[in-house]
Amino acid sequence: MSRMRGAAAIVGIGQTPYYKRGTSPEPELKLALRAITAAAEDAGIDVRDIDGFVSYASERSDAPKLMPALGTRECSFSSLVWFHGGALPATLNLAAMAILSGQAEIVAVYRSMAETSSQRLRVMVAQNDTSAQYLVNGLDSPAQILALRAQRLMEYHGVPQSALLATTQASYYHAHNNPHAYGRNIEITDEVYANARMISEPYRLFDCSRENDGAACVILVSAERAKDLKQKPAYVLSAPMGTMEGGGALEENWRPYYATAGQKELADRMWRESGYGPKDVDVAQVYMNMNAMGIGSMIDHGFFSFEEAGEFCTLDNLIAPTGRLPINTSGGDLGEGFIHGMGLIPEAVRQIRGTSTNPVPDAKLSLVTGGPGDIMSSTALLGSEETL
Amino acid sequence: MGYSFEQHKIIGAIEADDGFWRALEDGKLQLPRCTGCKGWTWPAHHRCGQCGSWDFAWTDVEPQGTVFTYTRSRYAFDRVLERKDDVPYVTLVVELPGADGARVMGVLTGDESGLAIGAQVRGHIRPPSAKTKHYPAIEWELVR
Repeated sequence: MSRMRGAAAIVGIGQTPYYKRGTSPEPELKLALRAITAAAEDAGIDVRDIDGFVSYASERSDAPKLMPALGTRECSFSSLVWFHGGALPATLNLAAMAILSGQAEIVAVYRSMAETSSQRLRVMVAQNDTSAQYLVNGLDSPAQILALRAQRLMEYHGVPQSALLATTQASYYHAHNNPHAYGRNIEITDEVYANARMISEPYRLFDCSRENDGAACVILVSAERAKDLKQKPAYVLSAPMGTMEGGGALEENWRPYYATAGQKELADRMWRESGYGPKDVDVAQVYMNMNAMGIGSMIDHGFFSFEEAGEFCTLDNLIAPTGRLPINTSGGDLGEGFIHGMGLIPEAVRQIRGTSTNPVPDAKLSLVTGGPGDIMSSTALLGSEETL
Repeated sequence: MGYSFEQHKIIGAIEADDGFWRALEDGKLQLPRCTGCKGWTWPAHHRCGQCGSWDFAWTDVEPQGTVFTYTRSRYAFDRVLERKDDVPYVTLVVELPGADGARVMGVLTGDESGLAIGAQVRGHIRPPSAKTKHYPAIEWELVR
C-alpha cells in the first residue's frame, strides 16, 4: 500500500457542453475557465483559492493564462504530465502528490480543446512527434497506428469483431440516457455498425472516438479537507503511471504486449497499491481512442484474457445497472464525446456519488483507465469512503 | 550531392535513423547493430540501453520477412495526403528474421490476395518520391 492511497479526493467536477469539433462558440481558454469555475462551484470552493493546476499532453490553457481570470490568490503548483492520452489518470497521481507533499492544497485537473483555437485533435495528440518511419509509409493518424495493433489483437490473438461491436453498442446505449452526450441520438444497430465506412481496417467509423471541442475539470483536496465539503468525496486509491522495458517510443517494436494497451504492469501496480483486484471493481470508464485498444486495456487490467474477450464483451455484460462490468456509462469517448479522454474522470466520480445518468447501484470502486497504446500510460482507481 | 531525405527532413521522435535512410537511398536495407554487445538496436537510438555503448555499425539486412501486422487505410489522412489517390492502400509491419525480429514498416505492392499475419514478404527498395515525402522507402510484395 502506498502513502498516496486515499490521501486526496475529488470533490468537484465541471464540464462544458461537447461541441462538434471546430464549432465551439468560445475559445479554448474560455472553455477551460468555464470548466474550472463550474468544478469549484460544484465543490463549494472559492475559485480564487485553487492553488494548483495540472493538465497533460499538449494542453495550452496553462496556469499563467488562467490566473488573471480566476482571480487566483496564489499559484503554488503547476505541471503537465508528459505524454498523450495515456497521461489522463496520472494527472490524479500528480495532483495527489502535490497535496500530500504540501505543495498545493486545492488542485484543478483539466483539459480544454477547441479546434478553432488550435489544430485537429489527431494532430494535437501526435504533437508533431510522429517519426519519418510512419509518415513515409502512409501512416499519420493514431487511428491508423492503433489499427495495426487491432489487426494483431483480432487476427493473431483471436478477439472477435463482436467484442468491438459490444463496446460500441454499450457506449451509445449509455449515451442515449445522457443529455450531455454528443452521440445520444445515434442508435448503433448491428447494421449501422457493419455498414459504417471503413477508416483504417479493421476500424470502422463507430470503432473510433469522436473529436469534440470542450473542456472538463475535476478538483482535488486532501482527504481531511474533503470531509468538510459538500459533495461525497471520490478518493484516489491509486493512480500509477509508467511503462516497462519493452515499451516506450519503439515504433511498433513493442515486446511482449504489442496487441494490448501496454498497461499490464501498471494495472498490477494499481491493484497492489489499492489492495483491490479486477473482481472488486463496480464500474469502469475505459479510455477508448479506438475500441479495440480499450479491450486491450481490460485484458491488461485482468478483467478477461484474449480467449475470454468474446464471451465477456457482450452488450449485457457491459451496461449499467447490472452488467458484469458496466463501462463508459456516460457514453465515454465513443458516445459522449472526446476531449482527449477528460470526460471519463467526472463520470467515474458521478458513479461514486450516485449521480450518473446510468448509475451502477451502490458503486464504491470506480476505475478510469488512460490512453491505451500510448508510449506511456496510467490508470486510476477511485473509491468511496468505505473503500479506504 | 546530398541525400534527398536530408533536404526534406521530417522532424519527430528519436531522430537517430539517418543511417537507415542514407543506406536505403543508396539501395540497401541496413539496421544498426551495437558494436559493444552486437545487439540490434531498433528503432535506432543514440546509446545502447543493454550495454551502454554509443557506437553502432550499420549492417546489411536481407529485405525479407513475415507480416507482423497491417492496416488498409481507407481515408486520406491530413499529413499523408500525397497518397490520397492510392486510397485504399496497405501498410505492413514486417518482422525481419535477419535482424533478430526487428520490425520495419512499408507499403504493400502487387497482388494483395493472401495477405495475412505470418505471410512471407520480400522488399523492394524505392528511390525518393513525392509520395514518400522525398524519402526512400521499402515496398513489400507477398512471396508466392
